[in-house]
Order: sequence, then structure tokens, then C-alpha cells
Amino acid sequence: MDAIGALVELLGRERVRTHPLDLFIYAKDAGVSPGDPSVVVLPDSAEEVAAIVRIARSAGMPIGVRGAGTGLAGGAIPAAGSVLIVLTRMNEIFVVDEVGRTAWVGPGVVNLALSRALVSRGLHFAPDPASQQAATIGGNVGTNAGGPHCLAEGSTIGHILGMEVVTVDGEILEIGGAAPDPPGYDLRGLIVGSEGTLAIATRILVRLTQNPPNVETMLAAFTAIEDAARTVSEIIADGLVPAALEMMDGPMVEAVENFIHAGLPVGAGAVLIAEVVGHADGTAAEAALIRETAERNGATEIRLAADDAERELLWRGRKSAFGSIAQSAPDYYLADSVVPRTRFVDAVNETYAIAERHGLRLMNIFHAGDGNFHPLVSYDASEPGMTEKVVRASHEMIHASLAVGGTLSGEHGIGVEKRDLMPEVFSADDLDAQARVREAFDPEGALNPGKVLPAGSRIVAGSGR
Amino acid sequence: MTVLNAVTRALFERLRDEAADVEAEFAVAPTSIDDAAAVIAAARDARLPTAFLGGGTHGGYGTRPEAALVVTTARLDRIVTWHPDDLTVVVEPGVRVAALEEQIAQRAQTAVFPEIPADATVGGVIAAGLSGYRRLRYGPTRDRVLQVQMATGYGAVISGGSPVVKSSTGYGIPRLATGSLGSLGLIGRVMLKLWSQPRAAATVDVDDAAAAYAATYRPLAVLETTEGSFLYLAGAEEQVAAQVGEAEGVAREGLSWPSRIAEPIRLEFRVPAPLVRPAIDRARRLGATRWIAEHGVGRVEAGMDDVEPSRFVDARAWAESNGGALVVADGSVPGVDRWGTAPASIAIQRRIKARFDPAGVCNPGILPGGL
Repeated sequence: MDAIGALVELLGRERVRTHPLDLFIYAKDAGVSPGDPSVVVLPDSAEEVAAIVRIARSAGMPIGVRGAGTGLAGGAIPAAGSVLIVLTRMNEIFVVDEVGRTAWVGPGVVNLALSRALVSRGLHFAPDPASQQAATIGGNVGTNAGGPHCLAEGSTIGHILGMEVVTVDGEILEIGGAAPDPPGYDLRGLIVGSEGTLAIATRILVRLTQNPPNVETMLAAFTAIEDAARTVSEIIADGLVPAALEMMDGPMVEAVENFIHAGLPVGAGAVLIAEVVGHADGTAAEAALIRETAERNGATEIRLAADDAERELLWRGRKSAFGSIAQSAPDYYLADSVVPRTRFVDAVNETYAIAERHGLRLMNIFHAGDGNFHPLVSYDASEPGMTEKVVRASHEMIHASLAVGGTLSGEHGIGVEKRDLMPEVFSADDLDAQARVREAFDPEGALNPGKVLPAGSRIVAGSGR
Repeated sequence: MTVLNAVTRALFERLRDEAADVEAEFAVAPTSIDDAAAVIAAARDARLPTAFLGGGTHGGYGTRPEAALVVTTARLDRIVTWHPDDLTVVVEPGVRVAALEEQIAQRAQTAVFPEIPADATVGGVIAAGLSGYRRLRYGPTRDRVLQVQMATGYGAVISGGSPVVKSSTGYGIPRLATGSLGSLGLIGRVMLKLWSQPRAAATVDVDDAAAAYAATYRPLAVLETTEGSFLYLAGAEEQVAAQVGEAEGVAREGLSWPSRIAEPIRLEFRVPAPLVRPAIDRARRLGATRWIAEHGVGRVEAGMDDVEPSRFVDARAWAESNGGALVVADGSVPGVDRWGTAPASIAIQRRIKARFDPAGVCNPGILPGGL
């Protein structure tokens, strides 16, 4: 029996898709380049995933994995001829331990759905990527996803305690767990952020965070990005790490305001959104300190959200940034860059210079507190040569970030998009070490091939004996 | 040493560390990571079991090999660059934790390393994967190792991670290095993420640590010890004042941490956080005269003069059946492995070890499963 036949026998016809339209839909994530799967499968359990892996391996087919496909770096796009495992049906929240503040969840659980389900227990899952209404926890694990609240809480990696995974041999293993510091190597720390190349997570033990007793969210408008950036630096130098410190530049504010009509200060050069959490007395004091700092740095307007509705509106403005682009141009290219916070203004100004040189429309959105920013170019891909031009400009922007001590990705991952840029931040020996890690899990490179490491980076000669 | 050729001998001689108090035939203190890599490569070629030594304060983790060669970090002891405005610091592995914390305290920053570090070094704490009590708020040490350099068992100098506070760029080599106990090579310079020290802090004596943990928003730590139960609070002055007001107990300004457990035998229960109390009970039944239990974390350290091996085996079986471990961290218990049952992922762990230390010379046997 061929592989497809074996898969149909395992899962039934409904959960094995080979129709060109299905293959077309699942071939892409939210990035620019499509993949080329041979078959798409939708398992319901770890046992099914393990069986799929065994079938694919014996047929010599590569294995792709995806959740909702909101990734922007192409980590979820399948290599040619792949069996593509879609984990969205495995979306059960199994156990919530309120005392230990943990939960076992399926990889297909949607990020925001998890936090919503936990509201009555006073807990939430801290990583909150802008795509959280669709992105899955499994996908968050794959990319080590971030989000505005990672400033104080850290990226996904800090919120995953353990996993049940399926290995490339089709074995089901438990890794890590609720107990701290499991003896041996931290495989959990390797798998998170590995973009489906080391193992397939089929159940995930997440750490949950207490909902704060009080939240203050404020918006400050500035005439120049420099003023907003200085405000950010001074807040942090003062010993305060707010729950979030987000920024949008003028063009982005305008696009968002035209889209959601939240009353954002159109015409400002930059808008800062700051949030502090904790005991009410503490948040009032911290909010006052942020206000003073913003005023000292020339804020033209400061607005404190009076209630949850106003706070939600401010956040909706921030999180609908990418959706708002559609009204200005049919396509957009969103980069992910991170630099030391003190070099942030230099790096951002360089992105504007690059866009101007190429005659492109650029907006910027920033997780300003940790130096992570997303230059966004809106364009029309149907114009001949346009996509290539945009990608070229975007690579120049990445180089500008690297030149001031930054790295390739803060939260989107490497995928295929930045794979071939890896040699710019890692030496051949560094990449060789990473290849050794990958080989320890998947010696033949069957899991999500073509991601993370550049083709040909492995130095076989002179390597380990 | 007879197996060494002349070149190797000359290299070792140049780096010889006369001061190191070790049982091995030879101790060397490289002055650069490249020298360390050359030494390890020579050890690999000569098949010399090699151990690594920092401050020597946590030598009890894992079974120590009978090393022919000890590489110390005594001469890799510089704070290389501190970027207070970026909240990062680059340090060599031999820097004492206390010296680092003292320097960065000048700008009210902390690396959140163990609170009573004694002579521990940065490299040693990372290699042992140790975290301080403040991990309840700030996460474990491994969350703050941004970038790591390593002289690997195969003789290369590699670097992993990224020089920024947030990254999703390549495989997590810093995560792999943290807690690897020198089994893959020697950790060289590291970049660490720092935190600003909160502006105010308080220690509250509480009656019931578990209740205090459940009732308090984001405490720094909640410890239940032989000397009492303590709730540690930190943040803006107003925040701490308000939380102190709500906590039931006597408060002191500042953070008073318990002293290190110095009994001849020190055990570590590592269990799911809700099992801290049962772990304390187990520790008492094992004869613990001191313990420090971290609520919300699940780690219970217990000190004792002596322990009955059969009781230890029962306690370990209990910890492991609950997804945890009972680790012999100092001293020894006759007839028992220091770590316990090897993890389910041992095959993958073994392949990692083989790829980073193909000759098996870096702290052989120190990890669970004899890796």
C-alpha cells in the first residue's frame, strides 16, 4: 500500500487531503513564500501523529507541521513532497492545575482562547503575539513567539514547562514537566523555537500567570520617535519594567486610526502605549512616574485608560496594526528585527533611509521596551518586480540592525525567510554546533527540512569523531 | 600524563594552575577560550577524562569522574562589558557571582543569581543550572543566559544565542549549555540579561507559606524553612507597602534569605509545586534537620547528617512517580545513584553528548544515565 493509502486507512478519507485546493490552502503561512505538500493530514491524537510519522518515514517523505499558519517567516510551509501534519484539531485544554498554575493543552489550542478559558480562575498564558486570536500554542512553541507582554514576562520559552512529543522515529516521549530543573539536558529549551525541526509537540504543559489585581494603560503622543524612545530608556533606567512598552510611528498610527477609529492622535510622530500591573497603589505610582517621564521628554498628549473598555480600545489599536494595512495597499511585508535598546533609534532611522532610497512606503511598530521592532512595507505585489524590491530593502534593514549589534529575529523565527542570513550572525563553527543539535534529534533531516539552518552550513569534514 | 606528546605537554605546562586544590594529576587555568579548546582537543586526542572547576561550591551534582586533567576558570575572570542601559552584561566564566552582583548593584541591577553564592562562579552556576529563590518572579537562570561561548568536547570554540534580550534566532545552545555540568565542554564568556532591582523590598514572617503564596500577587519568593516561613515582596514603594499591609505577619524592610544548608548530606526534592508540603514531610521522615522549601517552584532542599538508604529509595520513588526527582546534591547515600532514574529522552540526550563530546572526555558520567 502506498503512503496515502496507509494514511487514509489510519485517519479516514476526511482527514487526509490531497485535493489541489486543499494543498494550495495549506501550502502557505502568513509570509510570502508558498510550500509544496503532497498530502495534508489532520490527526486527533499523539498516537495518530506517531503513526503518520512512521508512514511518512517508511515512504521516505519529509514531514511538515503547522498550527494556524499565522507565522511570517515561513517556518510552517512544507518542503516539496511533504506529509503536512496540521495540529489544529488537537485543541483540547486537558487539565488546569490552579494551585500549581499550570495546564496541559493540545498544540491546536488558540492562544487567546486559552487565556479566555482561564479568566474565572484568575490566570492567563502570558505570551500574547498580535496574532493571538488565531495563533495556536503549538505554533507559539515552534517560533518561541513573543508579544507586547513579553517585556516583563519573557517569550514563550519561559512559559513552557513540559511537552509530550513525537520524535522522528514515531516514538511518543514526555519531556520536562511540572517539577523544576529535570535532571539532564534541557530538551524542552531546545525544542521551543525549533520550528518543528526537532520533534512534534502533541501536548504542552504551560505555565500560567496570575491576572493582575489592577492594570493601568496609558497612551503618550510625541512629535518625534527620538522623544518616545528616550522616554522608554528613562523609564527602564529608573528601575521600572512595565508590563508592556509599545510604540507606533506616525504613519502606523494614521493607518490604524483610519481602520478602527479609536481616537488615536493622528499627526503625532510616535505614540507610546505603556501598561503597568500590580496592586492599585503601586500601579498608580508607576503610572505617575511614566507620565512625568513622558512629559519631561515633550509628550504632546497623555491619556490614561479610564476603564477596561478604553484599555481594550488602546490595545485593539496596537494589535490591529497589520490588519489596517489592507486599506492602503493590497500586500505588506513585515520584518522582525531586534537590537540593543540603546541602539534602537539609530536602527529605526536607518530603516526610513532605506525605504526612502527604494521609494517604498514604510511604517514601524515597536516592542520598544526590548528593542524589538517590525518595519512594515505596504506595496502592490502585482506590480512587476515589486516583491523582489521589497525583499531587497527588507534585507538591507536587517543588515542595518545587525550593524548595531542586533540579531535576525526577535519573535517570528528564522523559517525559510532568514535561513540564508544565518551565516551573517553565526560562524561556520556555530552553525555546525546547531547542526549537531538537530542531528541528535533527527539524523536524516526528515522533520521540516529546509528551515532554520542554511543549506550547506554543516561542516562535515573535521567534525566530531 | 605520559600519553601526552611534547606539544601538548608544553601547552599544559604553560597553563598550569599550581593554586588549584584538585586531586587530578594536572590542573590548568587557560587564559582564553581558544587555549581552553586546545587543551580539550589534546585531552580528547589522549583520551584523558577532564573535569572543569569554577568556585568548587557545588561539586556535589552528579558523579564526578576520576579526572586526569582539571581545567579551571581561575584566569577567565573578567567582567568584559556591562551595558547598564541595555540591562545586559558580558562576563567570563570565572567571575565570582558575588563580585558581579556587587558591581552591577552600583546601578541597582541584579543578575538574579543565587542569593547566597559563597565562592560560586558565573560559569559554575550556569553549568550546574542553579537558580536563586527569586526565580518565582524572574524565572530560572536559564531564562537569562542570552549568549554563550563554549569550548566543546570536539575541540571547537562555538557561540550560541543572540546578543539581545529577546531572540528567536537559531537553536537554543544557551539552554543546552545551562545545566549541562561540563559534559559538552567548557562554558566560556556569557551574555546575561539583567533586571533592575525593585525600588523597595520586604520580608514578611508568615504562619502559612502555602496560604501566603496563594493570596499574594507576584511575590519574589515564598519560602518555608526550619527557621520559619517567609514571604518576600518587591516592587515600587507603594506596591510593597500595600502588599505588606495585606499580608498577615511581621514585616522587615529588605530581603533576609536563609543561610545555605551546610549539613553533610543535602538532598533536593524537585516536584510539582503543589507537592511542596508532602515533600517537606518526606524530608522530615528522612531525618532532615534543616530544609528550605520554595512554594510555587517545587524545590525542597533538605540537610541531614545521615540517611537510611531504604527510606531514601522510597522517597525517590514517590518523587519520581509524581513526575519529579530526588537528587543527592551534597554528600552521598550508599548504593544510590545521585540523580535517580534516567529521563525518558535518554536516547536523544546520549546522541547530544556523543555529538558534542565524541571521545567522552568531558566530565564523563556526571549526568543522569551515566552520560
